[in-house]
Amino acid sequence: MTSMEKRLQKELQAMTKDPPAGVSVNTNSLTSTLSEWIVDIEGAPNTLYEGERFQLGFKFTSRYPFDSPQVMFIGPNIPVHPHVYSNGHICLSILTEDWSPALSVQSVCLSIVSMLSSCKEKKLPPDNAIYVRTCSKDPKKTRWWYHDNSV
Amino acid sequence: MDQNADASFDPSKNYDEDTLAQQREIEKEIAASQAMVSQLHTFDEIVEEYSQEDAIYRQKIEDLKSRFKNLRKTRGDGNCFYRAFGFAYLEKLLNDGKEYKRFLDIAQKSKDELIGLGFPQFTLEDFHDTFMDVVKMVENPGTVDGLFQAFNDAGLSDYFVVYLRLLVSGHLQQNADSYVYFIDGERSVKEFCSQEVEPMGKESDHIHIVSLTKALQIAICVEYMDREGEKCNSFKFNPFESLADDTDTAPAFTLLYRPGHYDILYPL
Repeated sequence: MTSMEKRLQKELQAMTKDPPAGVSVNTNSLTSTLSEWIVDIEGAPNTLYEGERFQLGFKFTSRYPFDSPQVMFIGPNIPVHPHVYSNGHICLSILTEDWSPALSVQSVCLSIVSMLSSCKEKKLPPDNAIYVRTCSKDPKKTRWWYHDNSV
Repeated sequence: MDQNADASFDPSKNYDEDTLAQQREIEKEIAASQAMVSQLHTFDEIVEEYSQEDAIYRQKIEDLKSRFKNLRKTRGDGNCFYRAFGFAYLEKLLNDGKEYKRFLDIAQKSKDELIGLGFPQFTLEDFHDTFMDVVKMVENPGTVDGLFQAFNDAGLSDYFVVYLRLLVSGHLQQNADSYVYFIDGERSVKEFCSQEVEPMGKESDHIHIVSLTKALQIAICVEYMDREGEKCNSFKFNPFESLADDTDTAPAFTLLYRPGHYDILYPL
């Protein structure tokens, strides 16, 4: 087993045994090498997204956890949020620049749930139209500008 | 930059992919051409390369030659401080059994302290296990060559670097009150750690060195080779100076700092 698989096995075990509130791994989606995951998340109670269900797609390279995972919203319901583009790409610094090998699928999911929870108004990012038209399919190939930590 | 100033800028085109591909290329080139930790070099071997950056370095290398015999280079990938620190210290422990025992104890206990601070156990354990494997190479019986191999094996070397980064982060968070005023920008200590300490490749500054020497209780010396003056300035990081039983602790090893980079120095 490669060190990436070993690490992801451990993560999967922790996530299925003791899943954080509103987060669950879709075990049917897992590939044999664990290089792709789908995680179901639910908008937290008393937030703008209460009761809504979303799906996050994770892709890992063989260099994980040194390479950050590619993470985006997938499926029919993409949250309307100032840091989430309508194609599912997420502007969140821990997914690129501030990724650390000590982070995990779980900590990424929790950051995304908390990003949704602190949102005060459902609206698209201001540059959504041009971004979605010109961006790469891989959100890790975007040079993100992180400027606003309040939402 | 004003985008309109560039006549060829096309706002409907995506430039990010090219820019990032270029960055990856540069990283690959660095990885292919520089060992994570190099063999010993003499100053005559590196003087031409180092003085290309600035002619003043030629003079400063003469100054180093009067006090040091060799140097070991580290890869310029943003992790150089941690790699230089780790290698130089373990190399020193090869000949200091008493200090090794002290360090082993601190290293072993550090895992639970970090978990106590909220680092997730299952990711931390991996890094700690590999860190301890590398540390224990000092005793069975350790050789410089064994350490050299380990520090050039990404599967060990990078894990070791991650753990040192977590130790720095842990120390800063435990002592947040003493460090909060040394952090630029309106960031909390925790934010600073997740942006400037924990990610791989983020360079180290004074605050990182202070934290690591305090977390592990190791005194070190850094020779600063900057563009000012004629000689290198040495600076001692002594984690014991605030303690009552202050003895003049000899630095465990000396690093060479050139703006943005750390190498290891070996005294005459």
